[in-house]
Amino acid sequence: MQALFLIMLSQVRSLSPAILWLMLGLQVCGEEARAPLKELLTVQSDVQSLFAKVRPAVVAVRISDGTASGVIINAEGLILTAAHVAEKPGREVRVVLDDGKTVKGTTLGLDKTTDAALIQLQDKERSWPHVKLSREVVKALPGTWCFALGHPGGFDKERGVVLRVGKIIRQTANSLQTDCVLMGGDSGGPLFNLKGEVIGIHSQIWEERDHNMHVSMAPFLRSWDEMKSSLVIRVWRTGSGGYLGAAIDVNAAGKVEVLEVIEGSPAQKAGLIAGDVVEALETQAVSSASQFSNAVRARAAEDEIVLKVLRANAARELRVKLASRPKEDEG
Amino acid sequence: MRPVGMTKGNLRAGCGVVSLFVFLLSVAHADTRATLSQEERTNGAQILGGVETTLPGARAAVAQIKDAKGKAVSAAVWVGADGYFLTKASEVPELEKQRIHWDKEKSAEIREIHRLNAHDLVLAQAVGVSGVTPVKFETSASKTAYGQWLAAPVKGGSEIRIGIISAQPRKIQGFGAAMGIRMDEQPSRIPGVRITGLAEESPAAAAGLKAGDLITALDGKPATDMKQVSDLIKSYQPGDYMEVKYSREGKPRTTRVRLASRMKIMMNWDGEDFANGGISLRTDNFARIIQHDLPLTPLDMGGPLFDLEGHALGINIARVDRVTTFALPASVFWKEIEPLIEADRHPPKALKP
Repeated sequence: MQALFLIMLSQVRSLSPAILWLMLGLQVCGEEARAPLKELLTVQSDVQSLFAKVRPAVVAVRISDGTASGVIINAEGLILTAAHVAEKPGREVRVVLDDGKTVKGTTLGLDKTTDAALIQLQDKERSWPHVKLSREVVKALPGTWCFALGHPGGFDKERGVVLRVGKIIRQTANSLQTDCVLMGGDSGGPLFNLKGEVIGIHSQIWEERDHNMHVSMAPFLRSWDEMKSSLVIRVWRTGSGGYLGAAIDVNAAGKVEVLEVIEGSPAQKAGLIAGDVVEALETQAVSSASQFSNAVRARAAEDEIVLKVLRANAARELRVKLASRPKEDEG
Repeated sequence: MRPVGMTKGNLRAGCGVVSLFVFLLSVAHADTRATLSQEERTNGAQILGGVETTLPGARAAVAQIKDAKGKAVSAAVWVGADGYFLTKASEVPELEKQRIHWDKEKSAEIREIHRLNAHDLVLAQAVGVSGVTPVKFETSASKTAYGQWLAAPVKGGSEIRIGIISAQPRKIQGFGAAMGIRMDEQPSRIPGVRITGLAEESPAAAAGLKAGDLITALDGKPATDMKQVSDLIKSYQPGDYMEVKYSREGKPRTTRVRLASRMKIMMNWDGEDFANGGISLRTDNFARIIQHDLPLTPLDMGGPLFDLEGHALGINIARVDRVTTFALPASVFWKEIEPLIEADRHPPKALKP
């Protein structure tokens, strides 16, 4: 219901640009009006020169009866893709290169919580065409131009790889949203910045046209070693998202209630006690136990959050500094 | 609203049935930065406000075809100041029953001149109209490189949208028309072919057909077996109407089905994969297309496509999926259209009252 509400809200919002644009149309003139055009032409020449360079590294991935995308990121043939493409380690996949040749690859590890995964091309001796990935995750800011490549619907030599140019709309702890429109078969394909570095891997779409989600480089960089050694990450590990240290569940009244607070945890330091009812995390209302734990985990360790809780029917706000998830919490 | 993972156009039989993956975690996106407003996006007010001033002719070149109820059915592009225009043929099988609307409140009756089914275009004239702004197509322009910005007027010219060339220009093979039914030759009291299943949002479903109905005749020809029915439908063009006589619970009935591209139906058997506004009836069988990523709808097809300097490069001809629009480059059709207009002008045809 919450998701549905959001889409209705955005439909209402979408009425405004037309009006605003018409107003702008009357106001802009002369050099000022040329600025966006100049910007577009710069983007065009950047994209066109980078496209030629990065294109050979973009691949189609055929796995069982499905087709997806990926991008080679080193000379030995390591490929970034999405976890829902790879599904599990050790699977043999067919990788279609830009020239249409098919080679073999094997899935390595994956992070199911963020949809990040790796594939290794079997022939490590060949020097594979590859691109760099961006290590400056936070610089992928909303408003930044970017371009998406992929093989929607599968590899098609006559058509070639499919290019889309757009802007970053949102940056979250582990993902990016852009207005580069994606569709089936794009999964695992790369999102590039205008330096030609990979900043995202296509992951999921929602109904709205601007709702295209990419895994950011954060999960890849964080879990690089685990993923390379074919581990499957099913829960958030150390350093991967915020840790509160409280057991919660839905109580008889349907509210999210604290059952137990772990000794020395961020929750205890902030003064959370058993019996507190958690009403909101920042401005986000808490509706279920899983929604609350996901929201906490989506925050970075060291983030300060405000929890609105109800204790003995009195509302209070607790400021919690989230920590890293302790090692023994794994699995 | 549900999120979907995006792998896996299913490879079987070349059909791109896309598996959907539901992500439980998708509610947990904590923003680390403020979300980009609508105005700041690629097709937001900031960029479009600047582009529009460089395209003075673009918005005036587009018109809308509306049906008797005033509902828009397709876009059109003026190609003669004396009211000649082109639109997408398969969206307007009964063009003369419709009217052309432009410049906010102007409208006129339509005289159809010639259908070029190979290109899915129809040449027509707005009756008694002069002084409209035609486009001048660039037939030699070879701006078909990946990443080239493009612009198109939408909503009858009240707004502009931009996007880029997304793929290599190419021919799109045709696979004939379909109505989106699965059939069976179950023995029946009366001869015919039984419908056993319908595609999501298919032409057959739109015309009221249901699983279990027994097709008895198509456009007057008796339905004898599955292959005959399938071949007959395939021989039609997407956008054509077909009269279907059928029997439901022993009672004879008749309906009219508006056929679509066979490929479109096979690709979208289970629904349209978040196409946003749907897709065109005819999406294939084109001699050459430019593929781009402008956020358009099927109602924008038949309208003109420009570069950012205002050169008219062609006509948007098919909305294919959530991402893709095909445009016909002017070099494909203009050399056939120009003589048709000249021949029609001399001598001037009597205009309807």
